[in-house]
Amino acid sequence: MNGNVIDLPSSFLLQCALWAYVAGGLGSLIAWRRDRLATLIGFGGATLASGCGISAAILTLAAWPASAGKAFALGASGVPSLPLIVQLDPLGAFFVLIVSVLALALSVYSFGYVRGYYGRRNVGLLGAFYNALLLATTLVFVASNALFFLILWEIMALTAYCLVSFEHERPETRNAGVLFFIMSHLGTGCLILGFLLLFQAAGQVLGNYGPDSYSFESFRALGNSLPPGPRNAAFLLFLVGFGVKAGIVPLHIWLPAAHPVAPSNASALLSGVMIKTGIYGLTRVLFDFMGTPPNWWGVTLLTLGTLSAVLGVLYALMEHDLKRLLAYSSIENIGIILMGLGAALMFLHTQHPVLASLALIAGLYHTLNHAFFKALLFLGAGAVQHALHTRNMEEMGGLIKRMPQTAFCFLLGAVAISALPPLNGFVSEWLTYQSLLQGFGTTGSLVKLVFPLSGAMLALTGALAAACFVKAFGITFLAQPRSEPAAQAREASPAMLSGMGLLAAGCVFLGLFPTALITLFGPLTQQLLGQPLPGYLVAGHGWILGNTQELGGTVSTPGIVLAGICLLPVPLVLWLFFGRRTRVRIGPTWDCGLRGLTPHMQYSATGFSKPLRVIFKALFRPRREMQREYDYSPYFATTLRFESRIEEAFVTRLYRPLKRRILLTSRRMRALQAGSIQAYLIYIFVTLLLLLIFAL
Amino acid sequence: MKPLNPEFASQWITLLATGMLVVQLLMVVQRMLLTNIRLFALQSLMLAGIAVIIAFSHAHAAHVYWVAGLTLVGKVFFLPWLLSRQVRRIQMEHEIAPLLNASASMLLCGAFTLLGYIVARPFTSLARLGNNTLGVAVTLLLTGFFLMVNRRKALTQVLALLTVENGVMLAAVALTTYGMPLVVELGIFFDLMVAVMVLGLLVYRIRETFSSMDVSKLSQLKG
Repeated sequence: MNGNVIDLPSSFLLQCALWAYVAGGLGSLIAWRRDRLATLIGFGGATLASGCGISAAILTLAAWPASAGKAFALGASGVPSLPLIVQLDPLGAFFVLIVSVLALALSVYSFGYVRGYYGRRNVGLLGAFYNALLLATTLVFVASNALFFLILWEIMALTAYCLVSFEHERPETRNAGVLFFIMSHLGTGCLILGFLLLFQAAGQVLGNYGPDSYSFESFRALGNSLPPGPRNAAFLLFLVGFGVKAGIVPLHIWLPAAHPVAPSNASALLSGVMIKTGIYGLTRVLFDFMGTPPNWWGVTLLTLGTLSAVLGVLYALMEHDLKRLLAYSSIENIGIILMGLGAALMFLHTQHPVLASLALIAGLYHTLNHAFFKALLFLGAGAVQHALHTRNMEEMGGLIKRMPQTAFCFLLGAVAISALPPLNGFVSEWLTYQSLLQGFGTTGSLVKLVFPLSGAMLALTGALAAACFVKAFGITFLAQPRSEPAAQAREASPAMLSGMGLLAAGCVFLGLFPTALITLFGPLTQQLLGQPLPGYLVAGHGWILGNTQELGGTVSTPGIVLAGICLLPVPLVLWLFFGRRTRVRIGPTWDCGLRGLTPHMQYSATGFSKPLRVIFKALFRPRREMQREYDYSPYFATTLRFESRIEEAFVTRLYRPLKRRILLTSRRMRALQAGSIQAYLIYIFVTLLLLLIFAL
Repeated sequence: MKPLNPEFASQWITLLATGMLVVQLLMVVQRMLLTNIRLFALQSLMLAGIAVIIAFSHAHAAHVYWVAGLTLVGKVFFLPWLLSRQVRRIQMEHEIAPLLNASASMLLCGAFTLLGYIVARPFTSLARLGNNTLGVAVTLLLTGFFLMVNRRKALTQVLALLTVENGVMLAAVALTTYGMPLVVELGIFFDLMVAVMVLGLLVYRIRETFSSMDVSKLSQLKG
């Protein structure tokens, strides 16, 4: 294409991936009348593209710095001062790896999933949006020019909006789409302002304000030379801008509304990848551009991360919509990732680059892991929704007998997200703990108290997350079916199962062999912190995950598994010695003397989380309504109606008053809307004249 | 053909730009719709002339011929034809009384011309082609805007918008020597086409709905 010098196989592969996305998207749009063909082209193209993307990313990361690709232009944009420059550096390559691996699994899954839409919906359109979102996201990670980046950022937001409102006939979906739209644009506005600040500073350094002064190259050269005023302002703007996309509390309200209503393959993409673009942006800006951070940046990030983690999981626990639960849990995990990044910033401030690299690795490794297990869980939820046509957990149950393979995959995902060894969630949370606990000794000031506090909160989060996924798995898959569709559910199609299987295998691999992957982080820390991989991190010939010091804590997930396998014969031996005389008799479950067990007797989703709702009553402020009708005495009610509802404090206390205020102001501003064209023209004209005279 | 003597070209451009300004001022006082449209065509013709001279006198400005051609086809022939047809179709050849009468508008436009020239003065050294082009361009912009505010018929407002655009084009062609990139110019052209089509349609609808072309009646649409 365009005769650009493509010096490296990785750059070539990246271009192949991009073009395959384009071809897949356009092809499926052209073939929209024929569902099967559109599916084949759309998701086949995405599969191909993701393969290229994976290879490009791994080539870049494995062969660094020999693979240091020069920035190259994708083509002429035709618009002045908008060079379409991309560069595959380690940070970008790492995120390209995440999006590509996920795209692979999701595309395979989609072959089965979109079959539910045949004849009902425009599958070609879905394929086009899907490919466009993947294309834009991949490009966001490699764009190395602020203007190009912002344009891609917007394309990404718009295609995501289209996916969110794909099933637009329901008002819930439309509202979620609009909310997402508003929040996303709020974020982009902040980003534009932030980049303008950097642009101005870079222009001053370069002496001109040409296209060069908003390339990432010149931002990188800025570093510490930024004056503190604009630097802090830029930090706050970027925090809000990227924070909206990442779903940091309190900017998260769009996330639990928008993610569940999208088609499940798209919600996996949104939760697995798109919110990670916020993390990417923060990492890029804070570690790559802005030099040594002041301490309050790290503290802010760490605190916000802790807050997001705890609140996210608490709200997740209260949900009985399976996909909303997963969306809230995404907020929790973003919080955990942010804790890693915040700790890394604080270590950078106190001049502990080794610890900073550990914390950064913890955050980014959790980013990768979360992409895997969250996408897996969303796909599982999608399979359930596909079979039952509901997301309400109160109508599920007993699915493990009807969808055993889906249940197994979901279980793996649930174990991984609850950070239980030996799966991948455990590894990254362990790394986060390590960096937080070692942080206490890095500074003499009282700020160090932040570390153990957030460590404790992380522990609380872990426990609550485990409870949350016991609920998610137990209510959905165990016990008796609570509704007719649940009793009649059928196993997901092979394509869907293999998509989930890929991700589940990924979770196991990332958990068992973290050291194999952690070596890939070397170029990353080298690039962002100028610091190679901590020396003792990979120990015991790659079987043990170490620490920053020789005598620091270590953990070995293969060892845990091995120990488990070794312990397996123990119960068998015990049974051989002591248990042979006991007799086994299978009888009915005790039903308190009533006649037979019914689904009404089992724990409901709401009931399961009741104790925690009571404990955290001050936070949740549940609204309850109870009406009973009785004939003789209130103890013998004939009908009973119970309603319990939880509304998020952020929505009721922050966003709703804000909305009311804005509406009030805009109603007052309507006086300006005179309804006469002349008046409007006069407004413009007078402004123009004033500006001209002012310019004199 | 050998390129024109730059001095000679510059004088021609100055002359044509002045012509554009004069035509603009004539439009401010003229109330016959058809005459206004013809004046606009004349102004556009002068703009096309300027573009041709620039393209002719500069070695690297061949694409400015495109600008000239587009102006000629679009603004000298097509748009005036479209607008006159509209005028004949709705049979309304006079503008109703403007907000300000002719002499007051003329005085005000004189002030705008002054302002335009003052604003343009710091840049005269840049304007290698004709020494008044930026001043004329700004003046065209301001008076065009004034024309829009002052008149009530949707058709005249379309016309005024077109003269504003002529001003912008003049600045683009004359100031930067080679004009803007062709993409941008094409974009502006298509924008304008669409705007005129939409406005033409709107005029027709307003006429049908309110049996008048007075845009001040649009305020009835306000929610």
